Amino acid sequence: MTSCLRAITAILLVLWIGWFARSAEATDLKNTIRNLYGSQGILLEPTGLPFFAQESRFQASSLQGLDNLNTQLTSAIGLPSFSSSVTGFTFDMDRGIPVRTTESLGPLLTERATTLGARKLDMTLTYTRLNFTKLQGKDLDNLELVFLRDDANGNGIRDTSGPFSFESDIIRARLKVDLSQDIVAFIATYGFTSVWDVGLVVPFTHVRLVAKASAAILDQFGNPGGTTIGNLPIHRFGPNSTPPDASGGGEETGLGDIILRTKYNFLRNSGGLTPDLAFLFEVKLPTGDAKRLLGTGGTNLAGLLIASKTYGRWFTPHVNVGYEINTKDLEQNTIRYALGFDARLLSELSFDADVIGHQKPEGNGTGNHTVDLSLGVKWNPLNSLIFRANVQIPLDKDSGLRADFIPTVGVEYLF
Amino acid sequence: MSLLTTRTASLIFVACVVVGAIVHSSTPAEAAKIIVLKSADVDVYNEALEGFKGALQESAIVEYDMEGDLQKGKKFLARLKSGPRPDLILAVGIWALQAVVEEIQDIPVVFAMVLNPTTVIGQEARNITGASMNVPNEQQLALLKKVSPQARRIGIIYDPSQTGFLVKQAERIAKDQGLRLVTKAITSPKDSFAALDAMQDEIDALWILPDLTVLAPEWVQYMLLFSFRHKIPVLGLSENQARMGALLGLSFESGWDIGSQAAELANGILSGKSVEEVPFTTARKVRLTVNLKTAGKLGVHIPKEILDRAAVVIR
Repeated sequence: MTSCLRAITAILLVLWIGWFARSAEATDLKNTIRNLYGSQGILLEPTGLPFFAQESRFQASSLQGLDNLNTQLTSAIGLPSFSSSVTGFTFDMDRGIPVRTTESLGPLLTERATTLGARKLDMTLTYTRLNFTKLQGKDLDNLELVFLRDDANGNGIRDTSGPFSFESDIIRARLKVDLSQDIVAFIATYGFTSVWDVGLVVPFTHVRLVAKASAAILDQFGNPGGTTIGNLPIHRFGPNSTPPDASGGGEETGLGDIILRTKYNFLRNSGGLTPDLAFLFEVKLPTGDAKRLLGTGGTNLAGLLIASKTYGRWFTPHVNVGYEINTKDLEQNTIRYALGFDARLLSELSFDADVIGHQKPEGNGTGNHTVDLSLGVKWNPLNSLIFRANVQIPLDKDSGLRADFIPTVGVEYLF
Repeated sequence: MSLLTTRTASLIFVACVVVGAIVHSSTPAEAAKIIVLKSADVDVYNEALEGFKGALQESAIVEYDMEGDLQKGKKFLARLKSGPRPDLILAVGIWALQAVVEEIQDIPVVFAMVLNPTTVIGQEARNITGASMNVPNEQQLALLKKVSPQARRIGIIYDPSQTGFLVKQAERIAKDQGLRLVTKAITSPKDSFAALDAMQDEIDALWILPDLTVLAPEWVQYMLLFSFRHKIPVLGLSENQARMGALLGLSFESGWDIGSQAAELANGILSGKSVEEVPFTTARKVRLTVNLKTAGKLGVHIPKEILDRAAVVIR
């Protein structure tokens, strides 16, 4: 019990550090792309007679395009999965003795139905690196936005011929976005009873978002410079316009969104083919500053039904199915599912493989359905000490904000 | 939810965990002080502890889980000796009993959930009693007799260092019931195959004892194969063995009940009885599993009375 209390004190300390780990002044990292060309969007060089004033003709489109990209990008940033741990003993009825579990050490990113055990405290520290490379299948370092011009003659269409064919000029902005997250997560799980766990995840996040954009004016045929009258371009950048090249962003570090969770294992060792079953309830609190991209800014509630069954004391397939409600943005409500197994390959080493999916039934089109493959190992060199390493690989890079792979390493100790 | 509110909620949550843990371990000063040493965190031990606590609600009980580590258990007990003396120690499981036997000589000890406790407790120990998981020999032999009335010769393979005391008891009981035990003593698991083969024409039934020397999975498989080949019923130790093919499996009913039995013994000691006046107990409630598939293959008729008693019938 003393070691448990010592460990709980450590949790309090981590929370205390998190409390004070805010920078004095919050920056608006979240709106980096939205504000790339300033708060008014792209304004061109004012032109005098005989032309109509053209400076604000791309403003609405540029604002909207940048805003959409900003939303796409930032709404897709979230916390990766964190699992609770399972370890311990089983009881050999014939021999009347406990047997140190020879089954797997448990999955890394998904859940097994079994719980930690009464009055056990598991503490885990993980480091996860997310270096995003694609958004909806497009390379983040080569994104392209096209801004369209206002209708000049009021006929409701963009003329492609005649005196108003300049309406079909476009501004093409090429963007290079460097977006990455480094997350150190402190995870604690405590077994209140042999079938009921409570836990929390306290993530500390370092996020880097730097965007560079270069805009060019093209005519409807793709010719640089846009439509001209004689040698005079109708649309152009100049000393009084928004500069065509822009950059912005920065880095932030701080407390992310804290997750509280509880798992109840309501069916266990029932024999036959019936799996162990558990229900997990999770609350993600908006403790991370959303403006600084450290959190999502909303409270999420998730319920997960978990089924697993151990075969031969070493192989445990598991299924997780659940629903997550985003109370701030219902479009982000997500069906979560995972299917996989964990297997003890050696007495101290287990392997875990999962397919992890997230489906947003009412999603905004970005990452409405993402599927990842997760592969990992856990190594148990000493009684209560476990090292873990995992890599998450997107199976469909055309959906959502994706990294090529997401490595996680961690260390876990059971008190 | 504001940032402040959510952070406050997080802190309250953790504070509740801390307070809960402290409250959980705090106890009234005037109650009998009982230290529980648990061998490992397994469901059946936790059940036993619940059974124990249920019957001793007035006592101040502090638990320690030695997590399967004998040295950890011994270190805990060594520290215990230097602090305030508890009124009683409850050792749950055989590892906890081993640690207690080595470290504690002058504090009353009650054990629970231990199979064959005499293999751990020396003759000289005067401070230890408890509730074993062993099923009474009388019940096992009576069951065999009822299921297979024609069986007169019961085969047992055992390691004298593990279950010699059980065999001695069983021989006396068998004699009273008109049965004869055919016993083969072995000292190594590898001797068990030859010992069983040598019994081929000498026995009418086989009784598996809770003897670690003869409980290797391949040996249990061999006994069950022997049972089918020679149409000899086997009385096993558990539902698991009955599912593997033993005709019958007889085990203690629940950890909770063993824990309650231990609490009754502890109550006696806390009321002033000397430990030596309180003998070990065996499981007073048992759980019977009958494998009717095996019965069919062996040509054994299981009386309705037995089927009605069975907690599990495998059809």
